[in-house]
Amino acid sequence: MKNIKNIMLAVIATTAIVSCETNSTYEDQKPSIANIAVTNAGFSTLEAAAVKGGVAVILSNPNAGDPSGHFTVFAPTNDAFARLGLNEDTLGVLNQTFLTNTLLYHVSNGDLMSGNFTMPTPSALSGLTRRFVSRGADKYINGSKIVSTDISAANGTVHAIDKVMIATGGNIVESALAVQSGGVFVQPELTFLVEAVLYCNLQGILSNPMANYTVFAPTDEAFKKLLRALNLNANVPADIRQVDVATVTAVLANHVITSSGMFTSEMNEGTQATFGGGILTIGAYNNGVLTVDGANTSFAPANMAIPDVQATNGVIHIIDNVLMP
Amino acid sequence: MKNKIISSLAILLPFLAIAQSPVSGFMKKKGEGSVVVSYSAEKYDKVFLVPNEVDGVPVFNDVKINSQSLYAEYGVTDNFNLVLNLPYITATGNASDAVLTNLNFENKRSGLQDLKIYGKYNFNSYVFGNNQLDFIGVLGVEKPMNYNADEGLQSIIAIGDEATKLNVSGILMFKNKSGFFASGQIGNTFKNNRVPNALTTELKTGFAASKFYIDAFFATQLNSSTGVDILQPGFEGFFPATKVNFTRVGLNAYFPFTKYIGLTGGANTYLSGRNIGKSTGFYGGLVFNF
Repeated sequence: MKNIKNIMLAVIATTAIVSCETNSTYEDQKPSIANIAVTNAGFSTLEAAAVKGGVAVILSNPNAGDPSGHFTVFAPTNDAFARLGLNEDTLGVLNQTFLTNTLLYHVSNGDLMSGNFTMPTPSALSGLTRRFVSRGADKYINGSKIVSTDISAANGTVHAIDKVMIATGGNIVESALAVQSGGVFVQPELTFLVEAVLYCNLQGILSNPMANYTVFAPTDEAFKKLLRALNLNANVPADIRQVDVATVTAVLANHVITSSGMFTSEMNEGTQATFGGGILTIGAYNNGVLTVDGANTSFAPANMAIPDVQATNGVIHIIDNVLMP
Repeated sequence: MKNKIISSLAILLPFLAIAQSPVSGFMKKKGEGSVVVSYSAEKYDKVFLVPNEVDGVPVFNDVKINSQSLYAEYGVTDNFNLVLNLPYITATGNASDAVLTNLNFENKRSGLQDLKIYGKYNFNSYVFGNNQLDFIGVLGVEKPMNYNADEGLQSIIAIGDEATKLNVSGILMFKNKSGFFASGQIGNTFKNNRVPNALTTELKTGFAASKFYIDAFFATQLNSSTGVDILQPGFEGFFPATKVNFTRVGLNAYFPFTKYIGLTGGANTYLSGRNIGKSTGFYGGLVFNF
């Protein structure tokens, strides 16, 4: 009788134990790129952005656009998003399409390993390229420092970066218009700058497809501060027209470096000649940003609020003060 | 002897909790039945993903699942019982208002889940000394009620998989006159709606006396190879297609106040899993026997 009972219990136990879930069945599997973002606390904002931007499922799967089935993703850390004031809760300030495009700008086909960070690489955003920059012992993609490399995923490779890369896909004027019209932030920005460019009829020069400018783009608040300092109205963009067009043109020309479009990673402390013939003083490189000052030192140096926005004919750095010649 | 053994266990009824089999190895006699109204609560803030367990439920941070359930069992004959179960489930996430607005998600999903109707038939009983061994076959159908499991990542807190299911199981039930019992249950559940089929097992052992009942169980689910893992290659954002495996353990107890009314309760937790929350839950219920 005891034997029968024991045999029966053994049968029962076997049915359950053989069908037990154990990690050994999959613990050697690599996580997908999306899974890495979800399971790493340092990428929680990227996770939320990927969900909101509609790329979480795409980055879970093989890349249909590449024979290897792999992607390479330059993944901004939470600190990278925080530089822009972005976290899981504040992503809603971004235009939905712009967010998706920005994420795609961080993605490319195939596995790009750190040993091959040399030539410009096309991104998944309409083939717009990013370029690699060496600065001291560090490697950058555009203005973003690559802080960890070659994280292997089931469907590609991940490198972590310390700044979100931004590209508009348009030239400098189109980029400013996108910001001004809510195409980047839901809340329009650069509205005074766009008004000033149109007022001075500089849109043609700044749209030149053959150019490669570095442009410092003052925020609306920067222009308001200037107008208030001049005891003028500072309520709407058209208030910029209280200043004569020649003066505004000279001020805007003081924000453009025509020699080359430089990311912060390519800028150094020193001086730069402007399109208007003036001189800008660039401060020391400090954690991915630099201060910029015009010749008129009665105005405070400008800080970079949003650096390294890539346009098709240059690089834009959004700053918090107007640079007076 | 057989009748003595069965009568000593007459107070018993199948206990229910989330993810336990709705059928047990105990049979109701002809004309007998029971109805249970129960409430369960479970919570998790860790998820078994592939390849690793992760802290924090994606998007929702943590999830609470509460259910009110109606359960009934009736002995059509001594050897054939019908079981019915209908739970109303509320799944509540903990995403911030800003995240919900950003993603156009909601923190709550609730509704009647799946109507379960099972029949079990005791094919054979062998009595040897003070022991009895029953061979029971089970056939069950589960029909999803009016809820939606195809809402992309919102479905992280879906209340079910929206699949119609057909379950075929076998139960081996051992009972001793002392009150000790042990059962092993193995079954396959066939599902539509691109939901992978599942092999389920349950080991249960316990003690049934005239004034109380207690058991401990060990349950597993393994999906067929057709399922996908969440956010892994093959995942299309359709959560019902995910492979949901688990191993869980738990306790059930029952205390009769009278011949007709009693209280039941229990607890359970996941030991391991795949594409499922690492939850621990409790339940309690009021039992009416007739």
